[in-house]
Parts: sequence; structure tokens; C-alpha cells
Amino acid sequence: MITLLCGFESFICRMLSVLFMPAGSCSVLGLHLCFGGAYSLCPTGRTSCSTMADDKDVLRDVWFGRIPTCFTLNPDEVTEREAEAYYLLLPRVSYLPVVTDKVKKHFLKVMRAEDVEEMWFEYEGTPLKWHYPIGVLFDLHASNTVLPWNITVHFKNFPDQDLLHCLSNSIVEAHFMSSIKEADALKHKSQVVNDMQKKDHKQLWMGLQNDKFDQFWAMNRKLMEYPTEDGGFRYIPFRIYQTLSDRPFIQKLFRPVSPDCNVHTLGDLLKEMYPDALTNDGEQKRYQVLIHGIEPLLETPLQWLSEHLSHPDNFLHICVVPVPTD
Amino acid sequence: MSCSVLDEEQFRLSCQLLLQRSDQLGDGWSWEAVQGSEEGYLRKTALRSVPSDWGPLHDQKGFSSHPQPQTLCDSTGHEKEEQDPAASTGSDFLRAEEEDAGSYTVTNSSSLVLQYEYHILFSCSYGAPVLYFRAFTLEGRSLALEEMWSTIHPNYRLCLQNCPLNAISQQEHPLLGQPFFFFHPCRTEEFMGPVLQAAPDQGRPVNYVLSWLSVVGPVVGLDVPLQYCTALHSTKPD
Repeated sequence: MITLLCGFESFICRMLSVLFMPAGSCSVLGLHLCFGGAYSLCPTGRTSCSTMADDKDVLRDVWFGRIPTCFTLNPDEVTEREAEAYYLLLPRVSYLPVVTDKVKKHFLKVMRAEDVEEMWFEYEGTPLKWHYPIGVLFDLHASNTVLPWNITVHFKNFPDQDLLHCLSNSIVEAHFMSSIKEADALKHKSQVVNDMQKKDHKQLWMGLQNDKFDQFWAMNRKLMEYPTEDGGFRYIPFRIYQTLSDRPFIQKLFRPVSPDCNVHTLGDLLKEMYPDALTNDGEQKRYQVLIHGIEPLLETPLQWLSEHLSHPDNFLHICVVPVPTD
Repeated sequence: MSCSVLDEEQFRLSCQLLLQRSDQLGDGWSWEAVQGSEEGYLRKTALRSVPSDWGPLHDQKGFSSHPQPQTLCDSTGHEKEEQDPAASTGSDFLRAEEEDAGSYTVTNSSSLVLQYEYHILFSCSYGAPVLYFRAFTLEGRSLALEEMWSTIHPNYRLCLQNCPLNAISQQEHPLLGQPFFFFHPCRTEEFMGPVLQAAPDQGRPVNYVLSWLSVVGPVVGLDVPLQYCTALHSTKPD
């Protein structure tokens, strides 16, 4: 297990200056990802040409982020013999129903058909929302716990007041495409996504489903373009998640550049949308602001984050979690 | 309004006007505010009787293995491959089958009584109102998507099948976090556009939310009485 974690961490973890904090707890057992390469930002807010390669590296690091997970069958399920735990590396950017066919097959081997209804997952009593990207679920619920992530598998008593049903991958596809369209409505008034052919939409989904970075980005790069004179997208597609209140997320209109041409940062976004997440001078830090398991510097331009740290659904998913008290 | 996109302030104003009229008519709408902010949504509950010959509601024992109706919004307008929506919304539902008397209430006139809850929220991404709704049997069991389809009038069902852009799908309520059904808002601008364009000729301002509701509401059993349209106008200059 330790070997696995070392390999996993070195695969992901590199050094990065300026934009990303080295995320202090980047230890072998920690799950924070560090991004690598020297990255410099010109005062105008544009990246210099020599760092274009590094930008692509960030895209790859995001895409190939993995979370070591251990699936255990709910002890109350009726089985014909004892079920062994199942280990899997989950892609941060994908969705549970897409990547857990093997988990289902593994547990079905020890169950009778009549004891099997719709599969669902739970972590420490919380049903996991399959329509959130896996990395978001982890950051929100388990970010400061020891790996592997322990998820409980259920085949009965589907909590239909908490979870959406998902009886086929076409439902996941519909949700994914719906997010992409919504993101483009915010970025480009839907013009780019509407100009795409149906087969282009399919390519985005197939790229995600089959873990094909190049296939996905061949199409997704169009959704990341903008007229140079605008300086960025019309609005930034983002969602801020927290677990302290019932409200599942905060999503509002926010521009990447102010009317007087100031580049908005992550800090500006939080100040406007969720000021409690920020630490005032002299105060002790209460919250971590996580994107793909790392804490980007609050000075990072939001436009850059949107282009490089969005999920495949084109949204920036931001998790605000309490600082661990250990 | 010069375009068919709504902003949040206009949405709130339209809702307040609708609310005033609802109070006068006793139509049951209320405004639910998000704690500590101006944000909120309109809410209404109602009992609704659905003729049982529109299609049987599925028995709860054992979930259906039918693929869900395709809910993908294809805004290119290109021909879509249907994911066999007929399996869930078509002839199966219109066949008269033996009822499982245990799982729902059957009234004398052979119809089913359901408890509906309707929420009208604002989508800032699409600049449009969105209808979220859910339904329960009188025993408190919530309806699944396929059952929801069988509560929609067969005529509307055909339209929605052919036009998945306005299809109903399950979605997380953005403020409450619970599963609801909703009409995807991506095409609202299309049907509201002509309404708003014609408005100046009508000589009176249009209440966006009311007009929009009169289009989408009836599909899910939410009727908008004509009395709403009398003496309902904004005091703000348009």
C-alpha cells in the first residue's frame, strides 16, 4: 500500500512557484496535489509564451489526478458469502457511475439478484452525490483524512430524498452535457456550444468516459477560447461548495475582469460570494479553499483558473472546508 | 425589456407582482427567502388528480430497467438519436394494465390523487425562471421520473418526446439540495422572445414569470387562472 501511495504521489506531485502554495501537508499520505514547473505571470495578466508548455502540463495533471479508494459492502446487505473489499484508483474528474462497473460486478458475485436494487455509495453516513465530480466529493467530505478513501457500497434502501437516480450512463451523459451547456451560456452566451455538431458534443462525453485526454481537449479547447479584446470569458462558471449549511453550493454571475479592466482573482470571487472563507489579518485560518485538492493562492487570476483548473464539465468547482483540528 | 433575458432583480419584481395577485385570488403561492439574503423562490403545493387511464404508476417493488427518456438538450437542433424514450413514455404507459391497488389511492372516478410541490427559481446562467417540482402519493411515496411521465397529458408527452430540449429530468434543487424534477431552461429564451417582442404592441407590460408559467405550468398540472392577467402590471416604467 505504501508503495502504491509513493508511486501515486510522485506521479502527481511536482514543484510550482508563484501561483500555487506548496500545500504544506503534501506528504506521502496526504492527498494534496502540487503542480509543477516554473510558472510566471506577466503584470498584464497574460502568460508568457515560454510557459505555454507548463499550462498544458497543468491540464494533464488535472485530468490524470487520482484518488486511491477502498470500496466495502455495507455490512447489512444480505450476501451468500463474505464480500472482500475492492480497491480502485478513482479519476478526480469523472463521476462514480462511470468508473464503478467493476465495483458493482465484484459485489454482485456474492449477492443474489433479488437482494440487488440500484447501487449507491456512502461515506461516513453521507450519501455521495454521483452527479458531482469524484474529486469534489473527496475534497468536500474526506480531504484531510488518511488514504485510501473508504466508501461504503449499498444495494438497498436508495435514499431518494438525497440522491438522484442513475439507472444508466446516458443519465450521467445528460448531466455532464447539461453542465457544459450551462458553462458555455455563462462564458459565451452559448454561441460556441451551439455552433458545435452533435458529434462534437459526443466527443466531449466519450473523451471523459474513456479517459482520453487528447480526444477531449481537441474539442474542449474551443470552449476555452475568447475574443482577445475581451480579456476573458463573459462570466466565469463556478460553484462553491461547503458542508456547514443546507445550501448545496453558491453559483452566481461573476466577471473575470472588472469594468475598469482589473483582473479578478480567486480572492475577489470569495470576497464577493463567500467572505467567511477568507481569513482576516491577525485571525487564525479557519477554512481551506480547495480546487482539485490543492489550495491555489488567492491572488491567482480567476480567468486562468477557469481555463486550467476547471473540470471537464467546464465549471470551476471550489470546496471550502474547515481547517483540520489535529 | 429589450431582450428576452431576465435579470435577478426583474425576476424578483415579477414574482412579487405574481404573489400579490395570488394573494388576491387565493392561489396559494408563497415567497421562500434564502436566509439572510434577497434571494428566494416562489413555492406552491397542490393536490392534483391524474386520470388513471393516462398510464399506470409503476409499482415500487423492484426498480424499472427501462432506459430513462433522453434528456439531453441539443441546442444545435440536429436530429437526435433517441435513447428509446418510447420505452418510458410511449405505448407502455397508455396500455390499461391491472392496477396494483396497494400502492396508490384510486378515487371513484378512477383517477389518482397526488400531492405536488412547485418551486420557481431563477437561473442566472440562462437569465430565466426555472420550474422545479416533485410529487408524492398520499402515502408519502415520491414519484420516480417514469411515473412522472405518466402524469403528463398524452398530448404534452408527445410534444416533449419530439422536443427533448424542453424535457423533464431529475435535478438537484440548487438551494435545498434535494432531488426534484425540472424543465431545462436552455430554450426558455426562444419561446419568451416572441412574447416580449409582441408586448409593446399590446399596450401593457408583460410579467415575464407569469407568461412563462402559463406555458410550462399546465404541462405538469399547474394551471394559471386567467384572472392573473387582469390588473397585473408593474408600477415601474418599462
